Amino acid sequence: MEKKVFLHGLIAGILSAIASIIYYRVHYFAFEVDFSKLVSVVGLIGINILSCMVAALGYWFIKKWFRSKADIVFNLLFSILSFASIIIPIAAKLPLDVQNPELFPGLTVPMHFFPALAWFTIAPFFRTNVKRVES
Amino acid sequence: MKKSIYPVAALVIILASAFTFVQSQNWKINDDYSVKFTSDDPSGVFRGMKGTINFDEKDLANSKFEVTVDVATINTGNGMKNTHAKSAKWLDAEKFPVIKFTSSSITSTASGYQAKGTLEFHGVSKEITIPFTFQNNVFSSSFEINRMDYNVNTEEPAHGAAVLKVDISVPVSKA
Repeated sequence: MEKKVFLHGLIAGILSAIASIIYYRVHYFAFEVDFSKLVSVVGLIGINILSCMVAALGYWFIKKWFRSKADIVFNLLFSILSFASIIIPIAAKLPLDVQNPELFPGLTVPMHFFPALAWFTIAPFFRTNVKRVES
Repeated sequence: MKKSIYPVAALVIILASAFTFVQSQNWKINDDYSVKFTSDDPSGVFRGMKGTINFDEKDLANSKFEVTVDVATINTGNGMKNTHAKSAKWLDAEKFPVIKFTSSSITSTASGYQAKGTLEFHGVSKEITIPFTFQNNVFSSSFEINRMDYNVNTEEPAHGAAVLKVDISVPVSKA
């Protein structure tokens, strides 16, 4: 894997983890519902970095296969997978001692888009074929 | 006048003592109770248990349960399922806010006790017999209930299980 793609994944994962932790705290103070039995700060950091590193690996493979159209294919795939993955928290059956399970998707569904959002946000910094326009 | 005070005081003390004796058979429901229902689908718990438990192992004839659980407290572990369960199609929590059991007689059995009485659920009152045990100040019971008997979504008998196993554990302390 190229260093640039690796760094893209790692930094996107860190940014996504930060966004998730902030959203987790905001959600807790807004609704006063404690999901700490299911969601932890360490878990959020881990899953966000893992997601973005898997995305980086996927991007690396797609770049090998699709070359010039890699960005289009990857962005489309990342968005579709992020959207499809929201079924997981919506369909999840939580432990019965966890109160207000109806608020759980409101916490986790937005988080499913954070890795893709972070990846797309910093993508311009990692483009290899940017043409510099000099005035 | 003074002489009559003592017999009256004695009578008051006797009456008060008798009242205390009757009260000692009342039990307060502790917060760590559980009302679980299980099936292939759905499974969950109810909260909001209230009521009076008057139970004396030596005086079953005068023992009585009158207990309700709050339908709106149903928790299946999934927010969408909870909303469906409370809707008019299923339990209709707005129209039938509680499930109520009122015992009419309590008898001892080989394995513990059984309470015969009326279960009011989803607007249907039905006579049922609930087996239970009472050990270490905990009432425990396990029985089955068929939602079709209580007109719960009879239009879709195959949508979710019809027969649900109910497990109840109610720790109590003397009131």
